[in-house]
Formats: sequence, C-alpha cells, structure tokens
Amino acid sequence: MNQSRGLSLLLVTPALIVVLALFVYPLFYSLVSAFTDRAGSFSLENFDKALELYLTDTIFTVVIIGVSTALIALVSIAIGGYLTLGENRRAVAMLAWLYRWPLFVPFIVAAQCMRTFLAKNGLMNNTFVSLGLMDVASTQSFLDWRGIIVTFVWKQAPFVTLMVAGAMASLDRSTIDAARNLGASRLRILLEIVVPQVRGTLMVGLILSFVTMMSVLSVPIMISGGSPTMMTVDMAYRINAHGDYGVANALGFISYLLTGAAAYFYLRQSVRERSA
Amino acid sequence: MIGALNLGWLPRAIILGLLAFAIFGPLANLALWAFAEAWFFPNKLPSQWGFRFWEVVFRPTGRAMEALSVSIWIALLTVAVSLAVSIPAGLALARGRLPWRALIMLAFLLPQAFPSLPVYINVARIFYQFGLNGTVAGVVLVHTLHGLVFAVWITTAAFASVDKELEQAARNLGASGLRTFFTVTLPLAAPGIVASAIFVFLESLDEFTGSYFVGAPEIQTLPLTMFLASMGGNYQISSITALILLVPSIGFMLIVERFLKADVMAKMGN
Amino acid sequence: MRKLWLLSTALAALALAAPAEAQQRVTINVMTAGDQNMVDYITEFLGPQFEKQNPNIRVRAVGTGPGEAGSQKIWERLDAQKKANVAAWDVDVGVVHQTMAGQMVNEKLLDRYRGSIQSGSLVTRDTAKNALGSNVDGYVMPMFHSQTAIAYNPALVANPPKTFDELATWAKANPKKFGHNGIKGGMSGQAFVVGWIYANTPNSQQLMEGPYDAAAKNAWTPAFAKLKEFNQSAVITPGNAGTLDMLNRGEIAMGPVWVDMFYTWQAEGRLAPNMRLSVIGPGMPGQPMYYIIPEKAANRDAARQFVAFATSPAIQAEGIVKRFNWYPGIDAQHVQAHLDQQVWNKLFKDVSPQDLASKGKPLPMAQYFKEILEAYERQVAN
Repeated sequence: MNQSRGLSLLLVTPALIVVLALFVYPLFYSLVSAFTDRAGSFSLENFDKALELYLTDTIFTVVIIGVSTALIALVSIAIGGYLTLGENRRAVAMLAWLYRWPLFVPFIVAAQCMRTFLAKNGLMNNTFVSLGLMDVASTQSFLDWRGIIVTFVWKQAPFVTLMVAGAMASLDRSTIDAARNLGASRLRILLEIVVPQVRGTLMVGLILSFVTMMSVLSVPIMISGGSPTMMTVDMAYRINAHGDYGVANALGFISYLLTGAAAYFYLRQSVRERSA
Repeated sequence: MIGALNLGWLPRAIILGLLAFAIFGPLANLALWAFAEAWFFPNKLPSQWGFRFWEVVFRPTGRAMEALSVSIWIALLTVAVSLAVSIPAGLALARGRLPWRALIMLAFLLPQAFPSLPVYINVARIFYQFGLNGTVAGVVLVHTLHGLVFAVWITTAAFASVDKELEQAARNLGASGLRTFFTVTLPLAAPGIVASAIFVFLESLDEFTGSYFVGAPEIQTLPLTMFLASMGGNYQISSITALILLVPSIGFMLIVERFLKADVMAKMGN
Repeated sequence: MRKLWLLSTALAALALAAPAEAQQRVTINVMTAGDQNMVDYITEFLGPQFEKQNPNIRVRAVGTGPGEAGSQKIWERLDAQKKANVAAWDVDVGVVHQTMAGQMVNEKLLDRYRGSIQSGSLVTRDTAKNALGSNVDGYVMPMFHSQTAIAYNPALVANPPKTFDELATWAKANPKKFGHNGIKGGMSGQAFVVGWIYANTPNSQQLMEGPYDAAAKNAWTPAFAKLKEFNQSAVITPGNAGTLDMLNRGEIAMGPVWVDMFYTWQAEGRLAPNMRLSVIGPGMPGQPMYYIIPEKAANRDAARQFVAFATSPAIQAEGIVKRFNWYPGIDAQHVQAHLDQQVWNKLFKDVSPQDLASKGKPLPMAQYFKEILEAYERQVAN
C-alpha cells in the first residue's frame, strides 16, 4: 500500500500536532526563559551561572549515564547472546523467564526498592553477612553514584535486552550454524556474526535508554543525596528552592544538547545504513 | 573429562543464581517492607510483621483505591488517544513517501529526550488558559505526549514488518487501498499495535511529573500517592503502593512477547 | 475514515471523563506542602473533625511534596492562575513554609483573613507577623511550630556534643557517623547548614533580624570552608526521611532532623524507641507552617471557616500537640488548658522549653537564606 506524499503527510499530521502543541510550544517558552535575564532581555547570564555552579554535576551526569549505557549494552548482548546461542535448553528458558522482571517497573518503584536494598545495612549486605561472605564491619553503602548506576542498569537493561534478543532471534540461523560447524567458539560467533547484525536495534535501544535516563529525577533524588549529583536534581532544586526557571531551563538546554549529540549518532548511523 | 562434564552446570547455576538475586532481591525487599511493622537496626529482618499499613492504605480516607481507578481510567483513555494518532502516523512512516522521514521519526523522540520538568510547568501555564488543568482530559493529553514515542515507533515497526507482497496480492485481487488496510495490513500488524498500547498504558500508569503539574489537586493518581509516601520516608506505605503499581507491570511483562514479535522488535526505530 | 471515527470516539470519551460530579456540597481543596504527615493530619484528623461540624463542606487534601519544593508548587499554581486571569482559583487553603508565605504576600496572591476569624487574636508570636523579613501580618495563621535538633543513637554516642564546635570535633573522631541531607534533600539539611553559619559567623543576629546587607555574605567564607572540611567526614543522606532511616539502620549515629518527624516516626514504630534528641548550641533553626487563603479562593468563606476551626485551641491541643507531636501554632497558654500535664510534658521530653527559648532560632531573612544556600553550592558542594 504505497501512499502519495500528500496522504502520508496527512496521516502523520495529527501525531505531529500533539508533539508541536504539547512539547515544542512549551519548550519554546522554556528556551526563551533560559536565554532571558531577570529584567527580561536576552542574556547568557543563566548559562554562566549554570556552568559555574553545575559544571561538575554536568560531567557527573554524562559519566553516570555513559557508564550505565555501556553496562546496559554489555548486559543485553550477554543475555541476548546466551538466549540465541545457549545450548542448555533449561538454562535458556530460565534466563528468558528471569531477565524481564524489571522491564516495566517504574523508575520511582525501582528507586524505592534499591534505596533499602543497597543501603549499608540493607538487604543485600545483610544477606552477604548472613551467608558469611562478609563481616558486618566491612559492609559499605552503595547509595551514591554506584547505586544510581545499578538502578539504571537494573531497570533499563531488560528493555534493551528484549529488543536485542528479539532482533537476534530473527537473524538467519544458517550463517551461525555454519560457523558453529566450522568450530568457531560461541563468543566469537556472538561478537563477529551476531552483534554486527543487530547493531541498529542495539543502538536504538541504547539511545532510548540514554534519553530516558537523562530525564529521570526520582532515582538520583532517592538513591543519593550527596554531591555531585545529577542535573535533573539541580533543575528541580533551582525551581523548588529559588524559583529560578532561568537557570533550570539553561540546565535543561544543556541536557538537551547532550541528548541531541546522542541522537545525532543515531541519525548518522541510520542515514549511513540507508545509503548502504 | 567426565568429572568436568558433571560440574559443567555449576558456573551456569551460580551465574543464574546471582542474576536471580540481583533481579528479585530488590523486589523481595519491597515485599518485606510492605509487611514490616517494625524493622530496627540491628535486626536483619523485621521484628514485627503485619497488615497494619495495608489497612492504612486501603481505608476509605487513604483513597488508594480511588487513586488506582483514576490511574487506570486515565491510562485507558491515553491508549485510545495515542492509537488514534499513532496508527495513521505509523502507517505513513512505514509505508508512505515522506520527506525528511528520519527527522519526523526523531520528532517523536524529542519529548523523551528533553527533561520533562520545565516543559510540564509551561504546559500547565498554557492549559490554564483552556481550563484543562485538573481535568482528566489535560492529564490524558500530557500522558499521550509522554508515551508517543513508543506508540509511533512500535506501530511503525509493526506496519513495516507486514509483508508488502500480501498487500500487493490483495490489491491485485481488486481490493481498494482502504479495504486492503483493514483486511490485510491492520490484522497482521495488530500484535505490534497491541504491544504499543501496552507500552502506552504502562507509561501512563507510572507517570508522575506531568500528572502533578496538570492534574492535581482534582486528579490524584497512584504514583503521586506513592511519591509522597516515599519522600516522607514512609517505606511501608510506599512499598504497598509500589506493589499495587507492580501488578499490571509484571502481568504485562509476562505476556509482552506474545504481542511484541521478534521481527517487530528488529524493525524498531528504523 | 476509521481514523476520524477513532478520533471522535476518543474525544467523546474525553468529554465524558471530565469530572462531572454534580455536588450540592462545597468541596474545599486544601493543598499542603511538607511530608506525608501533613497530608495525614488533614485527611485523618482535621478533615473528618471539620466535616462532622460542617456537614455541607467536604475537605479534600492534596500533598504537594516535602520541603520548600512543596510550597513552591502551591505558589506556582496560584501564580499560573493569576497570570491566566482565572476568576476563581482552585486552591482554597494552602499550608506553606515561611519563604513562600512572604513571597505570596509580596506578590498579592493572598487574602488578608486573620482579622476576620475568631482564633486570629490567639497568636501574638512574632512569626504571625513576620516571615523571614517579610511583613505577613494578617495574611497567615501558624498551623504549628517545629524545630530542628540533632537526633542520636545513645547506643553509639554516650555523650552527644552540645555545640557545633563539639560536633565538628566528634565528627572528625568518628568519620562517616554523622549524616545530614545537604541542601537539596529537604529542610532539615538546610536548617543544619544555617545553624552551622550561625555558629561560625560573628553577625548571626543580623542574619535573622536584618537589616539586609549585600556584603554580609563575604564574612561566611571561612565558615563554609570549615563546613566543606566537615563534610569530608560526614555522610550526605537522601532527604529528611533518609537521615532518620539511616539512623534507624545504624548506618549513622547522629544527624539533624525535625523534632515532630522524629516523634511521629517513633510513635509509629518506624524509628527505634531508644533514639534521643538534642538541640545543640548556639542554636538551631525552627519554623512554623502557615495556613494561607489565596486572594481568589473559589470557596473563601468555607476556607476561612476551616482555618478558624484548625487554629481553635481544642483542635490545636488534640491534633497538633497530642496526635502529631508538633508545637502549637497559636500561643501556648490557650492550648495547654486543653491538655493534661502528661501529654504536655511528652512534647518536651528531650527538648526542654528552656532549650527552645535559648537555642531555638528563626531561619535567616529570605534574602540571606537564599544566599546561604547558593554559597553552599558554590563553596561546599562544588
């Protein structure tokens, strides 16, 4: 069913209107506020202040989310790979059943779970102590940057895995079987045959996770109170404690640039694949 | 050799066991808190168990049940509106000839890419002018925006995975474009569309920030109740509310693959 | 076609979904900032009591979140409705912190109602007239007063420090055993930072009473440097509740908390009963929460009735003091008469009235307060 250009545009218009009216228009408000000083004229004052106070937090945010994204990629490839190439049927079935549990757990619920699980005397350390793997004195709290990363990976990895495993399952098995018959190790098959073919899906999943994590407020607030913290916390704080929409919106603009950079890589890759 | 074979299950079992702990540990923790009436250091487990806090959540003034039904009602409406705009859009993106197609795809990602807090505050200001604040309609619109990327991207992937030759065959047999769409394309894409509906439903059910700015005080959703309890350090109340929120999440998780076929997943975002 | 049909059904569904409760009764929206206990107070105690006396009025309580953030959100609602020229605002009664009350009065968002309610004459404290340097006389009624204090675990700390100086020494000797929630996770951490500044700067009186001097902040630098060093051996906890939670789990031995939250947690079995409180010298800040009525509240008369009821001596005694462990909002002598001595004394178990009088300080003037928070970000957190 090939449509004409006009019909296609008409069909996509209602959805675009939703984005324009409920997102682009309010976003425009917020951009204006980012570039306006208190007197109402154009200025970069808000950005000066945002960078002066929150440069560390910006870097911290990029590092946290970068590390989380990388770990999510690793976990999803490992689980997806085992599901595709694993030979023990029972283990594959168990893994397939197991990995998806956090899939739709809301961030706020995930944060609540982790807050008490990863604490110094939380359930995790208590379990290790009870099993004799650790003594009480050497326990430490993971409620800092590590806790944020753990929560992000716990929550987002199943989502990317679901996508990646789906893509892997729909691959043509003949190349894999051929390589297997030639005696290639499963790890090699995974890295040299399977992963390159699902790269597109993996990237999409990772970008979706990246931008989702960029705008989560509940996890950093609930997991780690310390500084440095993530930009969303700073934004909320600027508004809540100071009513300072200017700096908050400037921070929003910076995080927009960061996600824009991530999206750019996706766009570049998708264009390259289309022209290939 | 034989010994090695016999122990071959061990590393696998250990890894699966650790994974199970990592996945279920935090969830089990939630369940423990929901039934803990007293849990002081240095006790490793609660010293008193009971349903006292469940009674607090479910008693009439707790309004948890009201919040739950409001949340579900909003989520259902959000699904209806999302599908109404995303099915045509998905069709056009999958099958049509669109200029700047990649850019349009990206446009739907934008709301997810920008931290929502500053946007919602401005949405609230705009909504006041139309009397949409504090109405179900206002919250539904915000939730629609929030879930739009899933709705459009998954629907697009669902349509893209429908075999074009089947459509062509129907056309060759003389079916009109519209008829082909309803008898061939739509039924074949239906599982993917259901999957997108599930995503939208869950996103709506779990959404907090937008509901607060646009909906409160008239509209009280479950995440709002839970956020307040959690930030107030009332772990029992928030754990119980969280468990309620988890029921549909886990339920859908268990069946999602029935709808989200591998071939659809493979086409996501393309 | 189908698309149009879907769209129109959806729109029809939306129209039906708009709240169409046709009530004869009035429902007043009470929006309250603060932790869950604030919402609980209204939904579980105040609301039902009020509805019993006024069967034609229904009370609907909405919590807007902990700390100043919650007050800020109430301000945002009022501000947005004012800017959109809405005739009847959807907040009938608000419960807000001091900074926001001052700002709301200055921006003419509030009704000057105190003179027209019966209990209006029962408050003579300075906080009913002055909120962090703003004149709010007539626009607010204090709901309660609260105080920050250092909570400690006597099992781990035999001799708790009595001053900020002793605390600094103690924290150095016991690294990672003192926890506070910084300035982004709620008011108890902010109050701690303010207390630190009061203790470590020469002109603390001026911060509380004015006049405002833009150069004053230069004198804080050494105090913040000291605080930065102090933080090295402290733990930053996630929120007001986070401090109490970590205390309860034995992860920290000491931390700043709100006195009322502390007692409530203990009463509900969420905090071990052996924990104690101490207000350390030279003093720690406290503050009231205010009842406010917006200028264009949709149900102004019902709102006034509600506030009058909420600040009546009997309700202050039974609800504020006895059930929720707050210090009364109206003058104490009116409340004390309604309570037996035992209940009254429980309120002062750890923190004596003398301690409150000598070590309970107000927060600094709004302008100074903002500058302290910002200087903390610049000089301590960065």
